[in-house]
Amino acid sequence: MSLFLSFKLYKVIMRKSYKAALWIICLAFMFAACDDSKPAKNGETANAGNEAEMQNEQQKDADDEKSDSPMQASVITDIIKSIPSPLEVSFLIKESGTSYLKNELNDHKKVDNYTNSYSKALNLGVYSTDLGYANIYEKNQDALLYLNSVKKLADGLNIGQFFDYHTIKKLTQSGNDMDTLLRLTTTNFEDINNELQNQGREHLSILILAGGWIEATHLIGLVYEENKDEKLREKLGEQKIVLERIMLVLDYYKNKSNIEDFINDLKELQSVYKRIKIIEERGDPIIEITDDGPVVTDTRKSTVEINDQDVAEIKSLLSSIRSKIVD
Amino acid sequence: MKRFLIFVCALFAFAVAADSAQAQCNAELYNNMALKKLAPGYTFVKSYRIDGKDGKRKKIEYTCVFSKDTSYMLRMAGKDGGPTGLVATLFDTRRSQLFTSHVNGKFFDGWTYKCTSTGIYYLSFTFEGSKSYCGAAVLGFRR
Repeated sequence: MSLFLSFKLYKVIMRKSYKAALWIICLAFMFAACDDSKPAKNGETANAGNEAEMQNEQQKDADDEKSDSPMQASVITDIIKSIPSPLEVSFLIKESGTSYLKNELNDHKKVDNYTNSYSKALNLGVYSTDLGYANIYEKNQDALLYLNSVKKLADGLNIGQFFDYHTIKKLTQSGNDMDTLLRLTTTNFEDINNELQNQGREHLSILILAGGWIEATHLIGLVYEENKDEKLREKLGEQKIVLERIMLVLDYYKNKSNIEDFINDLKELQSVYKRIKIIEERGDPIIEITDDGPVVTDTRKSTVEINDQDVAEIKSLLSSIRSKIVD
Repeated sequence: MKRFLIFVCALFAFAVAADSAQAQCNAELYNNMALKKLAPGYTFVKSYRIDGKDGKRKKIEYTCVFSKDTSYMLRMAGKDGGPTGLVATLFDTRRSQLFTSHVNGKFFDGWTYKCTSTGIYYLSFTFEGSKSYCGAAVLGFRR
């Protein structure tokens, strides 16, 4: 359309027909203003060298995105946003009194082994969980190594510019402002997810979250084996809810490279989780109005029915899925 | 005729620019304000945009997975000043309302929820007499 208008414009200007030219300018302007088909913001701050690569990947992703599922983008974004932060699990693990499990985390040196978008995204999630875990245990040196791996993978996915590496590094080195460090890290990961969604690369968002979830759930299983803390056992069972949500989104992207195999692995895990029951006893919330707003204590209670065999199977399957991701 | 056409074009350009400026809600700004209201001891986990698109959207809803034995604190800030005009309401899995931040006509910054039942919850943001329909909220947790 714009080519046609330009040609027409050229012709009429040549004929010195002012009025017609102005009409065409107005029309062109209106067409441009009404054009909703242009893609969403495309990583404006990405460096030029990576732009072509990113566009190629986006084209490939766009070609991949032929799904019959009618799920809307806003629904996918909502599900992705609902997935809890692995930090909640890491805090629970520390609270259980277990020592820092350095040898169970992913080796930071493996970062160069991850060469395609699929493995980069999954391992970005794995390393981000390890980074949070190391931070909570105040293992600054390890946290710095994981930070470098996270940065490298984020750069590899052309989203490194949303990661405030230098500030996080300084906070990690000083080790005296954990709140700000966790806040900044979480904000950066939110920015990365938002940007991937703006770029139409939500499948990478869900892979990052899935990688982070697998690492955190794997850690729960390992720590439970060590201390048999009932809270960790329940937490392992409660992951049924999170897995269901991850599967909903992954299923939408099943036509993308590697995702179908990943889904099949997780389906096996889901079949064990189907045996687990989360039972809720009803009750009304107790609301106290304070100067800071309502403080609400729930009286409902949920319990998780999960036996030793379920725990063993979940642990074993998680370990095998994780190995496929990190090794 | 020429002057008329230039006028029409200028008017159109102005209308497009004005519409775009009006529709903008800088949620990041209010996000930072809300973050400052999060009490010490709470670890920030999520932020939420509250963009009512100048009143075109009456409700903005997010799904959350909350865990038992965990306290969640929500804090909001908006363009109308503090939490004015913004209402955050939590619903349980069955979509029964649990509580809201707008109590007896007063707008609170947010709420604190001591969760005892792991499951899916719905966090809904609505507007009461808002002029801007714009803000943000943050969620923190404490075990």
